Amino acid sequence: MSAKKDLEARFDRACDLLLGRLADDEALSLEYSAEDSVFLRFNRGLVRQIGSVLNAQASFKYYRGGRTLYSAVNLTGSSEEDDARLEAALNHVRVEASLLPEDPYQTLPRAEGTSREEFPGALPDPSRLARDVLEPAGLLTSGGAEFVGLHAQGWVCRGSAASSGARHWFSTQIFATDWSAYAPNGKAVKARYAGRGWDGEEWERRLRAEQARLAVLTQPEKVLAPGAYRVYLAPDALAEFMAFFSWYGLSERSLREGASAWTALREGRRLLSPLFSLTQDFSLGVQPRFNELGETAPETLPLIQSGRLVSTLVSARSARQYEVAPNAAPDSEDLRSPALAPGSLDEAAAAAALGTGLYISNLHYLNWSDFDSARVTGMTRFACVWVEDGRMSSPIKDMRFDESLYALWGCKLEGVTRQRSLVAEVGSYFRRELGGALLPGMLIDGFTFTL
Amino acid sequence: MSLRSLLDSVAPPKAEWTGLRRVIARSRGYQAKDGRFEQAYDIADEGCMVEVLYRGQFGYAAVASSNPLALRAAGERALALAASAAERPVFRFGADVRPPTVLRWETPRTGKGFPDAGLLANSLVKLTASMRISEKIVQTAAEATFQDVRTELVSTNGADIGQTSHIVGFGAQAIAREGNVTQRRTLNGPRGRTMQGGFEALDFDALEVEARTAAEQALELLDAPECPSETTTLVLAPDQMMLQIHESVGHPLELDRILGDERNYAGWSFVRLEDIGNLRYGSDLMNIVFDPGVAGELASYGADDIGNPARREYLIKDGILVRALGSLESQARSGKPGVADQRACGWFRAPIDRMANLNLEPGTDSLTEILGSVERGVWMEANRSWSIDDYRNKFQFGCEYGRLIQDGRLTRTVRNPNYRGVSSTFWRNLFKTGDASTFRAFGTPNCGKGEPNQTVNVGHASPVCAFRDVEVFGGQA
Repeated sequence: MSAKKDLEARFDRACDLLLGRLADDEALSLEYSAEDSVFLRFNRGLVRQIGSVLNAQASFKYYRGGRTLYSAVNLTGSSEEDDARLEAALNHVRVEASLLPEDPYQTLPRAEGTSREEFPGALPDPSRLARDVLEPAGLLTSGGAEFVGLHAQGWVCRGSAASSGARHWFSTQIFATDWSAYAPNGKAVKARYAGRGWDGEEWERRLRAEQARLAVLTQPEKVLAPGAYRVYLAPDALAEFMAFFSWYGLSERSLREGASAWTALREGRRLLSPLFSLTQDFSLGVQPRFNELGETAPETLPLIQSGRLVSTLVSARSARQYEVAPNAAPDSEDLRSPALAPGSLDEAAAAAALGTGLYISNLHYLNWSDFDSARVTGMTRFACVWVEDGRMSSPIKDMRFDESLYALWGCKLEGVTRQRSLVAEVGSYFRRELGGALLPGMLIDGFTFTL
Repeated sequence: MSLRSLLDSVAPPKAEWTGLRRVIARSRGYQAKDGRFEQAYDIADEGCMVEVLYRGQFGYAAVASSNPLALRAAGERALALAASAAERPVFRFGADVRPPTVLRWETPRTGKGFPDAGLLANSLVKLTASMRISEKIVQTAAEATFQDVRTELVSTNGADIGQTSHIVGFGAQAIAREGNVTQRRTLNGPRGRTMQGGFEALDFDALEVEARTAAEQALELLDAPECPSETTTLVLAPDQMMLQIHESVGHPLELDRILGDERNYAGWSFVRLEDIGNLRYGSDLMNIVFDPGVAGELASYGADDIGNPARREYLIKDGILVRALGSLESQARSGKPGVADQRACGWFRAPIDRMANLNLEPGTDSLTEILGSVERGVWMEANRSWSIDDYRNKFQFGCEYGRLIQDGRLTRTVRNPNYRGVSSTFWRNLFKTGDASTFRAFGTPNCGKGEPNQTVNVGHASPVCAFRDVEVFGGQA
């Protein structure tokens, strides 16, 4: 049996057993996550670690008599063993849930929809991975650069089912090469090649494209004083800000509990620029629309339109608790598949429009520094370059910024590019994540650097 | 089936060495908010990693199974991957970096087994209700978590290790709001009270008292002025020293980071290999130990995940860097001494150099003496924000609660206390370390690193510390 068929069979088995053995007064929603992955980790253009992970996890919420308990087990692929694990897990939650207090906002699954999406890919042969990924990097390493990063590939699967009838399956065979090249002076470029169809020629083309950027970085470093600067935020840099719509973000629950940094936006005390519009957009095709309850999110959900908050992320539980309409957000009420609206600035003219200031390719380690003013701090990283009269001039010594998002995307937002890039999600804590963000570049006047 | 009996059928004949590591974890958590029950979880996770060595290159294959057939297939897969990479290794290792350690270890605890789930949930409900002391308290929350992790490791050169960690965590928070000002107060940061032990660590009567104090302080912060913006003396409580040590000592000293492995993700280090043994890292008062044997501290263990027996070692002695955080692989690559710290978050990730328990040793001054030596300064406690550059130098941290220090005494409460600095300067400005009476241990389960990514538990213990000439500042309107 192929790996993908095996992983789908495990999902089917979990659905059949868990949903098939419920009593009339029980309900259950199931979320499934599986992968068959190969990881190639490299440093100095050589293999640091190489390995594979085959995992399948069935997570489920059990409901009975006003009580709810969340549980999870992983599935081995052996029918006998998995049946035993699932049965033991179901029997266990039945006992444990009966001990718990009632959940006052328990929301039973109601979704009935079904879907099936499958996206096979064409990936490098694992037996040739080290050669196919690392050998072409000689384009850069022959010039003295050091090649560092991770190539991950293989099937990633997600499933969802519920006792109300919902059943969804999504599987995709993808790769992501996330890498950086370090010049001898310690400066580096960073890039990402991700998709479903690996193309060795495209890989070489992308590596070659970074040679020019690396050349600029070998110039003497410019040291900047703290202060306000004109900057251009490239899509990869903007991508670092997307987490701030999930973390103390646009969750209905967080806003109600006083645990969101966007309270002033919600209450109309602050607005963002009319140039700023944010949408949850599943037409990007990078992740499934269903959540852990088997609910399907709308294909597009405007959240901020022309600077005004028009919607929050509302799970079924929050809908019940706060008596508002749900929009199939997951229980975490995290933002998925974000897209920022394009503007009118031509990307090719961005440096000229910037004039003199900073081209920010990437940012690093962002964190909230003050919730009430939605202020965020972080660092510049990788190929950030000083631009003089519209021309890329020299790399900069890394700088710390501290800026309110109300200002960054408010009075300081000068322009948004017409062109947008899909920045793929490559996170892999606990599992390979799916997703990505469709983002433009942004011209900012007066970005605050503090150190 | 025992791992030892599995190993013989799993080890591919062409591998020079094979190791089999199994991790079985059970995690439970209970959460209440605003005097009502919120949610509970009970999660099992189990799997094995087969690791082989072929022509100096390690390869691994992890599966969610202990089935002999699945493991045999995993062994062959690991071998094929190692063979495919053997022409391009960053280093050719020998089996000597996988020592044949025989060891059994378990977290000492008195409260064995597991408390009644209903009792636990109702205690949390009662505690969050007791925190609602004012209509300005808009949210209260409390959580108790438990985790049992069994790790077994056997290898063809004779390793036979069995370790069990019992972990318990508790957190509580109160959010207060008045007008456009919101303040949050927790017990030592969101997850700072994660430790090893049994449920004897949860004294709900005592926790309720502490939680109410947190609620009172959240209200106090609403009326407090912003932390002033100035360069001054900074005195940090142990629950903020935890983050300071973690970000500006622990991460920069990870040897695999110094060797460049993390440059694409978590970053590099301002420390170079040639600095080990001679770099002036901090003042003479700075003594940092890697200590895996502290009872109750979150990252205590007997051996790391490649079988290296764990021992207490100084990393920084009298301010001088003497040793880095690197286990046998990094020691072989660098030629530098290290510690037993090659750890994985579970069966599905390969071990890499991590922090474990990293502690700043206490000095000789009481809290009163430390404060008494400060004419003007700021006291800060409980981390709420953290950011540092990719070389681990330029940092900015924010805390929940601050107080001015004036003429040797704590005076007015200040809100939104933040500070920023540069690691290499900051630690040289350490001029007071508290005595044992100020020393406390905390832990966090959320230390993230590695490609592919993984989070591990770490512990940090510290006394109260005082630093000169630190840039502090408050929030903005």
